[in-house]
Amino acid sequence: MKKRDFSTKKSLLILEKIKENLEKLNQKMEVMIELQKHGKTSTESFTDVTAPLDVMTLLSMPDHLRKTAITVCRLGRATAEEVAQQTKRARAVESAYLNQLVLMGYLKKERQGRKAYFYVDKENKE
Amino acid sequence: MGKIIAIHSYKGGTGKTLFSVNLATTIALKGKKACLLDMDFRAPSLHAILKIKNIECWLNDYLNGTCPIEKVLVELPEMSNGGGKFLIGLANPSTEAIRDMSAKDRKWEMRALGRILSLRNSILDEMGIDYLIFDTSPGLQYSSINAIVSADIVFVISTVDTSDVQGTRRMLTELYDLFEKKTYMILNKVLIDINSKHGKEELSEKLGNTHTLPIFEIVPCFCDILKAGGNYIVAKEKPDHFFSKVLIRMTEKLEHL
Repeated sequence: MKKRDFSTKKSLLILEKIKENLEKLNQKMEVMIELQKHGKTSTESFTDVTAPLDVMTLLSMPDHLRKTAITVCRLGRATAEEVAQQTKRARAVESAYLNQLVLMGYLKKERQGRKAYFYVDKENKE
Repeated sequence: MGKIIAIHSYKGGTGKTLFSVNLATTIALKGKKACLLDMDFRAPSLHAILKIKNIECWLNDYLNGTCPIEKVLVELPEMSNGGGKFLIGLANPSTEAIRDMSAKDRKWEMRALGRILSLRNSILDEMGIDYLIFDTSPGLQYSSINAIVSADIVFVISTVDTSDVQGTRRMLTELYDLFEKKTYMILNKVLIDINSKHGKEELSEKLGNTHTLPIFEIVPCFCDILKAGGNYIVAKEKPDHFFSKVLIRMTEKLEHL
């Protein structure tokens, strides 16, 4: 009985790890797609560039990204999970959109342990 | 939980400030807590209407990050009744301040948006205000769009003037809808008798397809209000006036939005 419990737990852990890796892979693919769209190579990522996320920029964004960007503006600093709770969309979808906004230079991303936080860099130099 | 209302229009002179002041007054006279902010940084007018002097901090200072919002807000006890509250935050009317606000860059506007968004926490949640009202400048100004993005409800005031109605229609699809805002239109200064069949037809003709417009109220043009030139607050001085009754009806409807 105990042996079976142990193997179930182990299988769950493995599945959890696979899910985590798939999500990481998904994020990396999103980054590659975005870089390709902007005609850049992976070595010259434009994540260091910060573009101001003002209302005129929000107006010119595609609807799906605008919703995510406004939610981050409202929350100040949030994980994909927290953004998904507000937008009522899937966490993985929000994660992809947030990473796109990071690539476009509108958001910053910071890792704290296993969690990734997204925020608008209001302190960037004029 | 409190609500944020932005009062906006496509053109100037539609009656935004008149509605903002009187709506906030009606709310405060009903015993609720209202806070009115003058977000029209290009043509501030609330200081003149409410005859307020000796301002310590302006809204401009709050948006510049040099003054907390608590120092900007001024309480007007004479504008409220039984448990109600009327707070006001003013825009700096000096030419230098207006020039300074119109020369701000996109990064400043981004920070200003963050500060306006944080008012939900500081004014509604911490100060327990029921309604935070933004009196905005007309058209697609940065300060107005910042206010719209931060609001729960947008009241767009329009006259029946063709260019005003067309501009308002455009803003409905190209601005408010994009930000997924609950938007309601108030037709103001209407010189048509909407109770008659002929009047209804005339109004439909002027507005085009009325079914696509989210009309909240149709307010007639009152010569006595125009004549008063903003020298008194109708909702306070003339509670039996038809305009005051429209505002009472609006506040009742607001509770269910």
